[in-house]
Amino acid sequence: MSLPQQQLQIDVNKSPEVLERILRVVRHRGFKVELLNWKDETSQLLLTVSSERSINLLTSQLIKLFDVTNVIELNDVAQSKSA
Amino acid sequence: MRGADLLVSYLKEEGVTTIFGYPGGAIMPVYDALYESGLKHVLCRHEQGAAFAAVGYARASGEVGVCLATSGPGATNLITGLADAYMDSIPIVAITGQVPSAVIGTDAFQEMDVLGLSLACTKHSFMVTDKDELANVLKQAFSIAKSGRPGPVLVDIPKDIQLAEVEAALITSSKDSIDDFDKNTLVNAKALLSKAKKPMVYAGGGVGMANAETQLQDFVDATGIPSVTTLKGIGSIPNSKPYALGMLGMHGTKTANLCVQECDLLIVVGARFDDRVTGRLETFAADARVLHLDIDPAEINKLRTADVSLCGDLQTILPALNDVKLSIAEWQEHCSALKQENLWDYNAPYRSIYAPKLLSRLSEKLSDTSVVTCDVGQHQMWVAQHMNFTSPKNHLSSAGLGTMGFGLPTALGARYARPPEDTVVVVSGDGSFMMNVQELGTIKREQLNVKIVLIDNQRLGMVRQWQQLFFEERYSETILTDNPDFVTLASAFNIEARTITEQDEVETALDEMINSKGAYLLHVRINEADNVWPLVPPGASNADMMEKV
Ligand SMILES: Cc1ncc(C[n+]2csc(CCOP(=O)(O)OP(=O)(O)O)c2C)c(N)n1
Repeated sequence: MSLPQQQLQIDVNKSPEVLERILRVVRHRGFKVELLNWKDETSQLLLTVSSERSINLLTSQLIKLFDVTNVIELNDVAQSKSA
Repeated sequence: MRGADLLVSYLKEEGVTTIFGYPGGAIMPVYDALYESGLKHVLCRHEQGAAFAAVGYARASGEVGVCLATSGPGATNLITGLADAYMDSIPIVAITGQVPSAVIGTDAFQEMDVLGLSLACTKHSFMVTDKDELANVLKQAFSIAKSGRPGPVLVDIPKDIQLAEVEAALITSSKDSIDDFDKNTLVNAKALLSKAKKPMVYAGGGVGMANAETQLQDFVDATGIPSVTTLKGIGSIPNSKPYALGMLGMHGTKTANLCVQECDLLIVVGARFDDRVTGRLETFAADARVLHLDIDPAEINKLRTADVSLCGDLQTILPALNDVKLSIAEWQEHCSALKQENLWDYNAPYRSIYAPKLLSRLSEKLSDTSVVTCDVGQHQMWVAQHMNFTSPKNHLSSAGLGTMGFGLPTALGARYARPPEDTVVVVSGDGSFMMNVQELGTIKREQLNVKIVLIDNQRLGMVRQWQQLFFEERYSETILTDNPDFVTLASAFNIEARTITEQDEVETALDEMINSKGAYLLHVRINEADNVWPLVPPGASNADMMEKV
């Protein structure tokens, strides 16, 4: 049985470790990466993740990361961070 | 100036007066800059001690604590302290030396990927890669540590950047403003409150971190709502308030746990439904609606769905709720009757020392401005249960991470954070004490007035208790009858010490300790069979507490 999937668009401040930071949170909070697309020039990560857990549990942790500026659940409302 | 000089100037500009650390190769330029700089550096005897001293400083003062270590082993030794600070949302800044930029990634001597190690145990971390960014990184580090939900921040500085010529451009940190809570939701929160017949405040560490103790107390005074606290929430509502029911959870008071199970509205204030608090989550206050107040949106709906939530500054949220009118007299009476029925029983008709009674007497003897730090285990729970606190800044306990070895170094930090007239006491266990025992060296070197109450059951007591109750009395590796002679140990560090074994020695020994001029170690032998009660067994509901067996 496949788990529910969700696509996220994550905008970041460029830093060498930002991908590690994000992927660590994804794994630790119980989500599996299904597909990953990183565009260095736009500082944007497109991520498809799957989990039994509700996606809010992940997005609320990702948006807290200092180098993450915006998390959008695609086909969903934006969770943007007020500067 | 050199990068290292900039760091020291920055710390002074930032208002930092004391830092805790340990030198080594990759941080030597900073130690050179510290020399005769006027910034007080306390040489701890292990980097974990330095990290915990920074934690103790931060918790006892409300300011950012600072620690310093070299690359490789120095930095890895900080990790436990960072993790502890992360779990308990404590603002500290850790500065580590790193091998020169040119050799990073070559497995150079004492090179370790500290930035990589920091990812899971800090709020944020930096490696400085551009000398002209150093000042800005430091400013950001302090700002992040204390803004919003506080936490530890690590700054890794390669040695070449410490040595590079930089311009002194110092801008100090600032706290980000906190977004206003949603005023439209306030109506819903008030509606929820006014409908409640059996409301209960569940106050956590967030109250103290927001400095919102006054606002919380005004709220419970104005509304008459009964309250319980978590381990980290202790002190945010004094136990002396009529409807303050004490700590809840695994070793909470019977009254707190029973009343929470019965409540129809749980008002969660700066708390996060930790498993040590809730017991079996599905059974926790199962009939209650939930009003969750917190600064961190990620805590809302994480473990328990909130009916209404307000995110923002507790200092402004709580006063906005004060004017709700409630008729809860019956519930108040019920709670206070249970509180009266279940007062602690200090009747101990035997000769050996009963630690809860000793701690309760100690608490009565200490002034309200005293700081008590503790380690982890049975003695920690006895401190939480039997000592009274009027501020969370006075009760330093490793809550989220539960780290043995926390007590002694955090007391050092607290000593620097508070004026000399505030007594600082460590309550430790014979197991935990040995985990950072080297910090006795710091006490000796700095002649620190720290009182140590060492509760010695010759066991890893809390683990022994679980072995007794849940592992068929198979006491695997928890017997410490081969402990060192603690009085001799103390005397090796010029610390006055005394052992007591019987109840009739307690009063004079406590007085002697409190009135002693400098550091003092009171070694208290207790019976290894004494357990912490009540206890919610693992996997059980908080309604099913085990009591004294
Ligand atoms: C660093 C660390 N290692 C292991 C543990 C697990 N642990 C929790 S309580 C405890 C026993 C503590 O013994 P002691 O300090 O003598 O206190 P007591 O329970 O006897 O009061 C242990 C081993 C821990 N919390 N922290």
